Amino acid sequence: MELNRQNIRTYSLLGSHRTFGQIALEFPKIDDKIVILAADQCSPAGLEYFRDQYPDHYYNVGIAEQNLVGIAAGLAKEGFKPFVTAQATFSTTRCFDQIKINMGYMNFGIKIVGLSAGLAIGQYGATHMSMEDIALTRAIPNMVVLSPADCTETAKALLAAAKDSRPTYIRLSGWMNNPIVYKEDYDFEIGKAITLKEGSDVAIIATGTMVYNSLKAAKILEEQGVSVKVVDMHTIKPLDKQAVLECSKSKLLVTVEEHSVIGGLGSAVAEEIALYKEKSRHLIIGVEDHYVKPGEYNYLVKQVGLSAEQVAERILKVL
Amino acid sequence: MSNLEKYTNAFVTCFEVDEETAKRLKYQDISAWDSVGHMGLIAALEEAFDIMMETDDIIDLSSFEKGKEILSKYGIEF
Repeated sequence: MELNRQNIRTYSLLGSHRTFGQIALEFPKIDDKIVILAADQCSPAGLEYFRDQYPDHYYNVGIAEQNLVGIAAGLAKEGFKPFVTAQATFSTTRCFDQIKINMGYMNFGIKIVGLSAGLAIGQYGATHMSMEDIALTRAIPNMVVLSPADCTETAKALLAAAKDSRPTYIRLSGWMNNPIVYKEDYDFEIGKAITLKEGSDVAIIATGTMVYNSLKAAKILEEQGVSVKVVDMHTIKPLDKQAVLECSKSKLLVTVEEHSVIGGLGSAVAEEIALYKEKSRHLIIGVEDHYVKPGEYNYLVKQVGLSAEQVAERILKVL
Repeated sequence: MSNLEKYTNAFVTCFEVDEETAKRLKYQDISAWDSVGHMGLIAALEEAFDIMMETDDIIDLSSFEKGKEILSKYGIEF
């Protein structure tokens, strides 16, 4: 499908969660065996069009995430290619055993589309925030973990996942009117990070919504004479080791994510560089190890220290 | 193409209606102008007039006529 300025802006306005519903309309053209199962998330995922156009390819299993993955496993066993969707926190933590056994161990190519990850629906409190979903899913053998930077990349990741046979978690973060990182179509490959900006002093590896904030932080730092490289690590697993290696040669390596500082992108990078003989220091920026009080998305981003200005400030302190 | 023609054309293209119908439209009058169609319209208007609309204006654009009033805030005259 063609990604142009107009649909890129439309997806940005809809937010990554409802971009899913638009991209899903492409799935039957890719593979007629693709089916979508939702845990009562038709509207939040923007799946009304898909449901109405392809009623034989859509199932609402109700608010029952464990059944969601269990039923998807049965369908996968019968040759279907299920995408399942629910809020990120419920589609990973609540059905972790089903993911481990039915997706990881059985190696069924089920795709989980985790809606409103991170702080996106933080107004409902800690129960609806997903700060540990990357940590959980990447710990399971065979799993692929994707974390798109914006709604353009959400489209690219979903289309790539639809053509991929591996069990996959697609983490959709941010809210409506999601800032645009990719203003035009580009090449996307699972496992291949994208360098958005070159720089020599600091290398920022970011994922999800924090890619945009990191680009802004880089601009702030550049105004103060600090040269900053920014890499979009849209695939947390398998990690692009070559990209990490190149970033580790800078004076300071920084990872930025809207996820717990434990177990996410920062941990994945730290595990990778641990045995490097020569490497830079590594600053892990994310949500610290505590529960975040409820609030609106942009407010919460500042509360946890993830605004562009705060990221730049953190980097300057340790540089 | 005049601003009014560009403006009307965005409605005609997004919602697949004729010009006369477009000029009478209000949000959710037709199935195409639902929440998804609304965002498509906003993107089309931003592209046509090279502007970036504020969130409140995106929400307030509830009819063809209201849209003209909102776009005037961005220096677009009809």
